[in-house]
Amino acid sequence: MLKKFDKKDEESGGGSNPFQHLEKSAVLQEARVFNETPINPRKCAHILTKILYLINQGEHLGTTEATEAFFAMTKLFQSNDPTLRRMCYLTIKEMSCIAEDVIIVTSSLTKDMTGKEDNYRGPAVRALCQITDSTMLQAIERYMKQAIVDKVPSVSSSALVSSLHLLKCSFDVVKRWVNEAQEAASSDNIMVQYHALGLLYHVRKNDRLAVSKMISKFTRHGLKSPFAYCMIIRVASKQLEEEDGSRDSPLFDFIESCLRNKHEMVVYEAASAIVNLPGCGAKELAPAVSVLQLFCSSPKAALRYAAVRTLNKVAMKHPSAVTACNLDLENLVTDSNRSIATLAITTLLKTGSESSIDRLMKQISSFMSEISDEFKVVVVQAISALCQKYPRKHTILMNFLFTMLREEGGFEYKRAIVDCIISIIEENSESKETGLSHLCEFIEDCEFTVLATRILHLLGQEGPKTNNPSKYIRFIYNRVVLEHEEVRAGAVSALAKFGAQNEEMLPSILVLLKRCVMDDDNEVRDRATFYLNVLEQKQKALNAGYILNGLTVSIPGLERALQQYTLEPSEKPFDLKSVPLATTPVVEQRTESTPITAVKQPEKVAATRQEIFQEQLAAVPEFHGLGPLFKSSPEPVALTESETEYVIRCTKHTFTDHMVFQFDCTNTLNDQTLENITVQMEPTESYEVLCYVPARSLPYNQPGTCYTLVALPKEDPTAVACTFSCMMKFTVKDCDPTTGETDDEGYEDEYVLEDLEVTVADHIQKVMKLNFEAAWDEVGDEFEKEETFTLSTIKTLEEAVGNIVKFLGMHPCERSDKVPDNKNTHTLLLAGVFRGGHDILVRSRLLLLDTVTMQVTARSSEELPVDVILASVG
Amino acid sequence: MGLLDKLSCLLGLKKKEVHVLCLGLDNSGKTTIINKLKPSNAQAQDIVPTIGFSIEKFKSSSLSFTVFDMSGQGRYRNLWEHYYKEGQAIIFVIDSSDRLRMVVAKEELDTLLNHPDIKHRRIPILFFANKMDLRDAVTSVKVSQLLCLENIKDKPWHICASDAIKGEGLQEGVDWLQEKTIQSNSGCEDMKR
Ligand SMILES: Nc1nc2c(ncn2[C@@H]2O[C@H](COP(=O)(O)OP(=O)(O)OP(=O)(O)O)[C@@H](O)[C@H]2O)c(=O)[nH]1
Ligand SMILES: [Mg+2]
Repeated sequence: MLKKFDKKDEESGGGSNPFQHLEKSAVLQEARVFNETPINPRKCAHILTKILYLINQGEHLGTTEATEAFFAMTKLFQSNDPTLRRMCYLTIKEMSCIAEDVIIVTSSLTKDMTGKEDNYRGPAVRALCQITDSTMLQAIERYMKQAIVDKVPSVSSSALVSSLHLLKCSFDVVKRWVNEAQEAASSDNIMVQYHALGLLYHVRKNDRLAVSKMISKFTRHGLKSPFAYCMIIRVASKQLEEEDGSRDSPLFDFIESCLRNKHEMVVYEAASAIVNLPGCGAKELAPAVSVLQLFCSSPKAALRYAAVRTLNKVAMKHPSAVTACNLDLENLVTDSNRSIATLAITTLLKTGSESSIDRLMKQISSFMSEISDEFKVVVVQAISALCQKYPRKHTILMNFLFTMLREEGGFEYKRAIVDCIISIIEENSESKETGLSHLCEFIEDCEFTVLATRILHLLGQEGPKTNNPSKYIRFIYNRVVLEHEEVRAGAVSALAKFGAQNEEMLPSILVLLKRCVMDDDNEVRDRATFYLNVLEQKQKALNAGYILNGLTVSIPGLERALQQYTLEPSEKPFDLKSVPLATTPVVEQRTESTPITAVKQPEKVAATRQEIFQEQLAAVPEFHGLGPLFKSSPEPVALTESETEYVIRCTKHTFTDHMVFQFDCTNTLNDQTLENITVQMEPTESYEVLCYVPARSLPYNQPGTCYTLVALPKEDPTAVACTFSCMMKFTVKDCDPTTGETDDEGYEDEYVLEDLEVTVADHIQKVMKLNFEAAWDEVGDEFEKEETFTLSTIKTLEEAVGNIVKFLGMHPCERSDKVPDNKNTHTLLLAGVFRGGHDILVRSRLLLLDTVTMQVTARSSEELPVDVILASVG
Repeated sequence: MGLLDKLSCLLGLKKKEVHVLCLGLDNSGKTTIINKLKPSNAQAQDIVPTIGFSIEKFKSSSLSFTVFDMSGQGRYRNLWEHYYKEGQAIIFVIDSSDRLRMVVAKEELDTLLNHPDIKHRRIPILFFANKMDLRDAVTSVKVSQLLCLENIKDKPWHICASDAIKGEGLQEGVDWLQEKTIQSNSGCEDMKR
C-alpha cells in the first residue's frame, strides 16, 4: 500500500504525498496506540511509517518524546505480524541515536536473530548492531560469530556488513571475528563472499603485508563473486599505487587477467583500474582500451556509458591511446542517450584531428540544451583542451563559449566557461578584445559574485592595455551603481587600475571614484578613498606600488608584525620590509593538463608551513635576534640515500644576515640510540659557522631535529652560492631491540652526509607582479646592470626559460615563461624580493641561433641584489 | 477487544489474552521459569541473562499469557516502569538461596508497589520463591516474612516455592494466577453474565 502511494507521488510531482502535512505532535500522540492491546498491526505499521518519515524529513525529536515513542514501540514485539516487525527494526535503527535506553530491545533482537523466522534474522542483526555500543558488544559477540557463519545468506551478509560498521568504534572486538569471516569468504553466495572479503580487508588494511597475502590467496583460489573480484581489483590497484606501481608486479598481472573475466562488471572494473593507475604507458593501456572499445558497441546503455566515460578520461592524458576507438566513438555521437553522445563527442574532440572540430561542435550544439550542467562542464573542459592544442581554432571555440555563457546554467558550469575564456584570452592576444567585451556583457547580468569580481579583476588588469580602454568603463561603473558591496568593491579597484595607467582617462576616473567615496559600504568607501588619494598624487611609482601591484606580504605575518608593533611602540615608522612575504604568489598558475574545474589552493598551506617554522625557530634561544624569517626552502633535501642507517633531511632557513640549516634525522637501527647529534658543516665560500644546536637523543624510529647556524659572507657579500660538506657527529649507545633498554656507556661516531648546496634562489622569494612594466618603472634604473651571456649547452628557448626560472627562483610575470611557437627571440620577465626586503626584477632577452644568447638586465632598489644576480649567472 | 475476538473467546475458540510482567532481581530465574512454562517444542536450550526484556507467550487451560520477561540487572530495573500500565498480572521471582540480596529484592518490591501505575490497582501478584532445590535455600514462608508480604492488603497475592529447572511448583502458581486474573478482570465474564 505504501509502495502505491510512492509511485503515484512520483507521477504527479508530489501533489498527493499522504505524509505531506504531518505534524510531529499529532503523530507522537497517535503512537500511544502502541500501548493498547490487542495490537492492530496495520494501523501501527502506518504510524511507524509516519514517524520514520518525519525523522527523515529532518524533524527534530526531543530526547524525552523520542524515548517515550520508542518504549511504546517496543511493545509491538508481542505481535507476530511480519510487516510490523520489519517496521520495528527500521524504527529501532532510526531512533537508536535519538532515544535513550535503546538497549532495552537487545534481548528481543537476539531472540529474533537466533529464532526460526529467517525473514527476521538478518534485519534483527542489523538493528542489534546499531543499538550496541562498544561496552555492550561483548554480550552479543557470541551471537555475531554464529551469525557470520550462518548458512542463511541474508543473515551472514547482515552480520558481516554490521561488523564492518562496528569496526569503526570497536576494532579490537571485531578483529577477533576474522576466522568466522574467513569461513564466510568461501561461501558460494556471491553477496556473502563479497561482504566477508570486505570485512577481512578492512580489518587488515593497515597492514600492507597482510593485505598482500590476502590478495594473493584469493586470486590463487579464484572467487565466485564478481563483486568480490571488483573489490579485490580496487584493493590491488590501491596497493599498486602505494608501491609506486611497478608494472611487473603480480598485482598488475592479476588486474590485467581480470580483463578476461566472464563478468562484464569485473572486466570493466579491471579496465578502469588500469586506466587510473598513475604513470601507465601506452603498452599497459592498450588491452584496457580494447575491452572498453568492445563495450562501446554493447546493447546495454550502462556499459556504453561506462566505456565512453572512461575513454574520455584516458583521452585527457593519452589521446593517442584512444584514437583506435575513433570509429566506435563516431557511432556513439548519435546515441539516443545524450550523456553517452556528449561524452563520445568530447572524447573525439580530444583524439580527433583539427579538421573534425567544426563538424563535432555543430553536432554537439544541436543538443546542448538537452544535457545537464555536469555534462556541459565536460564539454567546456574539452573545448579548453582544444584551445591549447589548436590555437588557430579559437575563434570558433570562443563563439561557442559565448553562446553557452548567455544560456541558463549553474555556478560550476558558468565558472568553467569563464575560466576557459580567460585562459584563451591569456594565450591569444588577438582574442583579448572580443573576449573582454563578451565578459563585460556577461557581468551585466551575472548572479555569481565570485565570477563577477574575478572578471572585474581581469578587466582592471587587461583593459587599460587595449586599444580602446574607455569602452570598458561603462560596464565597470554600472557594477558600482547596480550591484551589492562585494562586487562594488571589485569594481572600484578595477576603475583605479584604469586611472593609474591611462592619463587621458584619469580625470573622469577621479570623478567616478569621488562618487564612490559616498558608498554605504565601508570596504567600498575605504578603497575609493585610498585609490583617490594615491591617484591624485600623479606619481607613477605610487601607482605601481599601491594600485597595480598589490601587497606581497603574508597576511598572517603582517597581522602579527602589526600587533607586535602596537605592543612595543617605537619612534621608527612601521617597516613593511620586516614582514615575511607570502610564500606562494597570489595568482594561481595553471598547468596545462589539469582540468579547469580542479582549482587548487596551496597558498594557505604554504603560509602556515612557514609560520610553523618561524615559531619553532623562535623557540631556540640560540636564534634570538636573527630577525624575521625570510624564506624556508620549499622542500627538504635528502642528505642520505634512502634505506640507509640514518635518514637526514635538511631544510634551509634564510634570515637577513644568517642562515639556519634544520636537519630532521631518523635513526632506523633498532639496536642503537644516538645522543647529542650535530651536523658539522664546512663551507667552500666565506660563510662562517656560528653554532650547532644538537638533537639531545635519537631513539629508534623517533624523529629528532638539530640545527646549524651560519653567518652570511661579509667580505664578499655577492658570493652567496656555496657548497657545504656535511658530517653528522653523535654518541652511540647500544640498546636491546626488544626491551628498549639502553647501555649506559656510549662511544663517539661520525657519519658522512651528502654535500648541501645553497644557491641564489635561497636568498630570493618569488613575488608576482601583475604589471611588470609598472613595477620596473617604479624601481627605476639607479642600480640597473646589464650583461650578456652565451648558454652554450642549451638548444631551445623553452629549455633556457625553464632553467633560468628554476635557477634564480623568481616568479615569471605576465606569462613570459610561455615561449610562443616558431619564434627565435623571447623576453622573460622575473620578479622577486631579495633577502632584506628589496624588490629585485630581472628582464632577460633571449636569442636563439645555434645556441642561446641571453642578455640579462637586473634592477633593484639596492645595489647588492643586482650584483648577486649577475655574479651568480656569470 | 474487537467483537470477533469476544465472540471467539465466548465460544472458547480463542483464549483470552493476559499481559503479565515478570520481575525480580537478576539471576533469580525469571527467564528459566517462563521458558519452562512454554510448550516443550518452543523451549530454548540455553538461557542467558536478559538484556532489556523479551516477550514470551504461553498458555494455561483457559488463558493465553503474554509475558514481558524483564532484565533484573541493576541498571535496567528502572526501565521496568515503562511496562507497568499494560500489565494485568505480575510474577515476582525471588532467588530463595540468595539471603544476601533479599533486602534488595524487598526494596525493589516496595518501589514497585508504590509506583503510581501499580499502587491503586487490584493487580494479582504471584511470588515464586525459586531455587528451592538449593541447599541454602530458605522456605517460602521465610521468604514471605523477609519481604513482609503480609503487608500487602489491597492486592491478591500468593507465594509458591519452585524449582524452575525441574519445573516443580510452577503449575500451582500459574493455576492461582489464572484464577485471580479471571476474577479481577471483566472481559469474557462480562459477556457471560
Ligand atoms: N538450581 C537452580 N538454578 C536455577 C533455578 N532457576 C534458575 N536457575 C539458574 O539461575 C541462573 C539464572 O537464571 P535466569 O533465568 O537467567 O535468571 P533471570 O532472572 O532471568 O536473570 P536476568 O535475566 O539477568 O534478570 C541460570 O543459570 C539458571 O539455570 C532453580 O530453580 N534452581
Ligand atoms: Mg532473564
